[in-house]
Order: sequence, then structure tokens, then C-alpha cells
Amino acid sequence: MAIYSFWIFDRHCNCIFDREWTLSSNSSSGTVNSKQNEETAKLLYGMVFSLRSMTQKVSSGPLKNEIKSIATGKYRIHVYCTASGLQFVLITDFKQQSYTEVLQYIYSHIYVKYVAHNLFSAYDFADNKNETRGQGFRKIANRNFVQSLESFLSPMIVQ
Amino acid sequence: MERHTVAGVSATVNSERSDVDAMTEQQRIQQQLHVFQSSLPKVNELAYQLLFNEIIPLSMAVEKKLLNKTNLQDDQKVAKQDDDKATKDFEKLHINASLDAPSHKMCQEISESDQTKQERVFERVRNIGFQIGNKITELLVFSNNPNLRFKDMDLLAIMKFICRDVWKQLFGKQIDNLKTNHRGTFYLFDYDYRPIQSFSLESGSAEKELALVKPFLELPIGIIMGVLSSLGYSGEEVQCMATFVNRPDDRPKSTFHKGISFHVQVNSQ
Amino acid sequence: MSSKSSGSAQLRSLKIMGEDVWKNRTEKVNAELFTLTYGSIVSQLCIDYQRDFQKVNKQLFSMGYNIGVRLIEDFLAKTALPRCENMVKTSEAISKCAFKIFLNMTPQVTNFSPEKDAFSLIIDENPLSDFVELPMDAMKQLWYSNILCGVLKGALQMVQLECDVWFISDVLKGDAHTELRIKLNKVLKDEIPIGED
Repeated sequence: MAIYSFWIFDRHCNCIFDREWTLSSNSSSGTVNSKQNEETAKLLYGMVFSLRSMTQKVSSGPLKNEIKSIATGKYRIHVYCTASGLQFVLITDFKQQSYTEVLQYIYSHIYVKYVAHNLFSAYDFADNKNETRGQGFRKIANRNFVQSLESFLSPMIVQ
Repeated sequence: MERHTVAGVSATVNSERSDVDAMTEQQRIQQQLHVFQSSLPKVNELAYQLLFNEIIPLSMAVEKKLLNKTNLQDDQKVAKQDDDKATKDFEKLHINASLDAPSHKMCQEISESDQTKQERVFERVRNIGFQIGNKITELLVFSNNPNLRFKDMDLLAIMKFICRDVWKQLFGKQIDNLKTNHRGTFYLFDYDYRPIQSFSLESGSAEKELALVKPFLELPIGIIMGVLSSLGYSGEEVQCMATFVNRPDDRPKSTFHKGISFHVQVNSQ
Repeated sequence: MSSKSSGSAQLRSLKIMGEDVWKNRTEKVNAELFTLTYGSIVSQLCIDYQRDFQKVNKQLFSMGYNIGVRLIEDFLAKTALPRCENMVKTSEAISKCAFKIFLNMTPQVTNFSPEKDAFSLIIDENPLSDFVELPMDAMKQLWYSNILCGVLKGALQMVQLECDVWFISDVLKGDAHTELRIKLNKVLKDEIPIGED
């Protein structure tokens, strides 16, 4: 199995974290919160957003219908959404069907621990109205978060 | 156990048996204590941790409000009083208080404040810690714990009480190392001080991180002084400071790179 | 499946989830520790604000808000609950899950407004105020557990529910029971990226 990239979007449509692995053979390759990924982030968010809106409009009944994964010819996009508006996104190859548990783990053991409980970190990455609706730029950059995520995902980059 | 007819041997057997009985008695007491403590009402440790840590941003928020108040001109104060009355009436219907800045901004502001302001914030945090120390001592004194005998406690025993029982209650672990010169100087080392383990900034900001953590150490300082005060050592004779120390190499890696050393100085006449 | 039976099945499962998380997935500390720490905080605020209890109420609310916005993530991570469809569901999630998981209590939900946009929680055993007695001047004006209102407001805000949260009565003030009210003002719309509208 191979993981190509990992993204976190918040309730303000902003990408607050991205990690891309460029070499499947080297888990320390790639970029963290790179400016070059800004455009990709916006496109990725837009696509997930559109599909989510569509599925929620189309679905009937009380139970919410959430996107779990989107497959293209080359890769699969896995999405995990929280009620607080966070979206954890993983782009992978086709070897593994579901990454829900991986994304849930990242949320509950890495995000909650090193962002929510970290009083040195913002809990809301838009400082004012001008940074909402996709116009924000602040990222999760604290070392515990980055290192933990790295330790957790690195073994999964390449099998 | 077999009874032997020879008196000497049977005496040994009897005393061995009473040793076994005594140990069982001790074990039974410990077990009773454990059962009792497990039956006490509990809350989620996370709720406690968030409340505990929020004391620091809170202390800065209060400082800001108190400063704003003293900056108001007298005539402005009068106008504000009328406003206050109107808002008070409104607030009887809804509690829609204006909110403070987020916690991380408050923490930032503490480290950017001037010395006097910082000291006032530290004092507030210490005072809250002092009360916590007082109350937790009371709690443990009256807890009927057979392991704690407060009557004959000397200073060293009190420090051990802080290191073991107080720390365990508050932080789920004991102080890692206690050093003393047996003449009123104590060093309490906590290499994995629990409340700050989630805290961090970007890589390469080690100095800034330590500066941001500093106010958080005033809370345990206050707690230590509160405990000492409850047990007879207070005022001018007690001083307590906290510094960062390197963690020993043999300890497993932790998320916060430094340990804390609490230096307690007790000058008794 | 009739909506009534699926409704009560959902309620039961919220209750079971709350109990399961509390029992098996929670580290616990003594409630007395919680009580005495909170008491120390309130006490210091009363000194700082020189017994202006309205200011203390406001400060407790604000402190609670800053806790609530972070605590919600813990709640969602442990329960994986999606957004509630209505305030009835919200009230159950709060009373049977949230209060259970964090404070090991289950307040009773009552007094729903006719439009079902507001409800009350009756709090029996409050670990914040256990064994607390207020002096006369505080009894008139201090909402001792006001931090809870802030926590709830902050947490609900993060799931797009803009609410007013306030105490109606408190046994510490001599009232018959402790009642906290939550009223929904607005369901906040999810943001749309600029350019997509």
C-alpha cells in the first residue's frame, strides 16, 4: 500500500495542514505545509465539498450520508469528517479499501492531543473574517503534531 | 501448618503464623483502602486537565480586565455605571457575556508582557495554587488513609508527602527524585510534568516554548507552598522556585524536552 | 421502522455509548480534587473582582467557553457522533453522553419550548459545587457553576449551533433545584469557499 498525501481542512474551508510524500521509497521525502500545495489544496477541498453537498442533498431520511472515499483512475481519496467541521483527507493507491480507522486515529490521538489540548496552539486557525471561506493561510506546525503524525504514517507510506 | 510438640519449634511456628497473619492484616487494610478510594466519586481526567491548565490564560484575562478598569476616567466611570445597570437588567434574562481572546493568545500575551504585569499574573496563578495546596492537604489529612500519619511529620516527611501523595492525586504520578541537604533545602524533580506534555510550538522554538511554559509552573509552586503552609511552614520562612532541567538519558522520550526542578527552601528559626 | 421506536433506540444507544466511554475509555480523577480546584478558582476571582459577582459570572463563562471549544474535539473523537438533526437529539447527546463522559452525571432533560428550540437540564449532583456553601452576598448574585454555561456554549458553537446558555436556578442560591437552560438562536451555515457561491 502506498500513501501519497495527507490533508486537514477546517470549518473555514482552509487547508490547515498538508503532507505530501514524493518518493514512495523514502518516508522522509516530500513536503509539509508547502506553498506549492496551496492550489492543489483548494481544488481538493472544492471537489470534496461539491460531492458532499450533492450526496447530502440527494440522500433522504434522517441518517446523514457522508462521503467516505472517491476513486479516480490513479488514486483513491479517503475523507473523514467531524461534526466540528474538520476534514481529514488521505490520498492513497488502491491496495487498501478503507482508511477510516487511520483517519480516526489521527483525529483522536494526534489532533486532539497536540492541537486541542495544546494551549500554545490555536483551536481555530482563522484569526478574523478575512481568513474564512478558504482565504486563510495559518497551518498546524507544532513539533509534537508533526512528529507524531510522521511516526504514525511513515510505516504506511510504502509496504 | 503443623504444630510441633517441641516448645521452641512451636514458638517459632506460632510467631511465623502471626507474621503471616500480620501481613495479611496489612494487605487487608491496603485492599480496603483501595476499594474505598475506587468507590469515591470521579470525573474525567481530561476535564480536570483542561480546567487546571486554563487557570493560566484565565489569570491573564483577569489582569487585562483589571488594567482596563483602572484606565477609565472618572466621568467615563459614571457613564459606564449607568450602562452597567442597563446591561445587568438585560443579563438577568440572558447570560451573553463578552468573551476573552482564545487561550493560546493569552499565553502569548503573558510572555510578551512587561515584568510587573507578568509578576502580577504569576502571583494570581500562585494564589490559586496555594488554595489548591491548602485544600488538598485538608482532603488528605481527613481521608483516613492508614498510610499517612500527620502527627509526627517532620519537614522531610512533609516533603515526601508532597512528592508521593499530593503529586499522585494531582498528576497521577509521583515526583521522580527528591534531593535534600537535610538543612531545609529540597529539590523536587519531575522529569515528565504532566500538565505541559501536550504543549509545543514549531520546531526550533525551544526558547520561546520554555518562556511560554514558565507561567504554568507557578501553579505547582503555589500548590507546594499551600501544602507547606497547611502543615505549619509558611510566610517568610518558605521559598519555592522552578527551573528547567535536562531529562536523564535513561528516561524514555517524552513530548516535552525538559524536566522541572522545584527548589524549596525552608528557613526555620 | 416507525420513527418512535428508532428514536428510542437512538436514545438508548446514546446512553449506552456514554456509559461505555465512561467505564472503559476514560482515565479518572477524584471528583473532590475537581471540586476543590474549581473552588480555588472561584475564590480567587471573587478577590480579584472585589466581590463584584456579575464580573465573576462573566469571567467563569468566558473561561468555560475557552475550555468548551477544545473539549468538543475530545467528545467527538470518543463518540464519533455526527451533527444532531434537532435540539431534541442535541439535548440527549449533551445529557446522556457529554455530561456522563466528562462529569459522570446525567442531568434530566425537561421544559422543552413549544418550538423545540430550547430545553432545560436539571442537575442533581454537581461535582463543581459539592459541599459548597455560599456567603449571603454571593448567594444573591453568583452563579457558582457558570463555567458550565460557557463550556456548553463553546462546544455547541463549534458544531454550528449558536445558543444562549444560562442558569435559571441553583440550589446554592437556596432554590429548589439547579436548572440550566439552553436556547438555540441560530443554526450557523457551513462556510462556502469564496468563488463557489
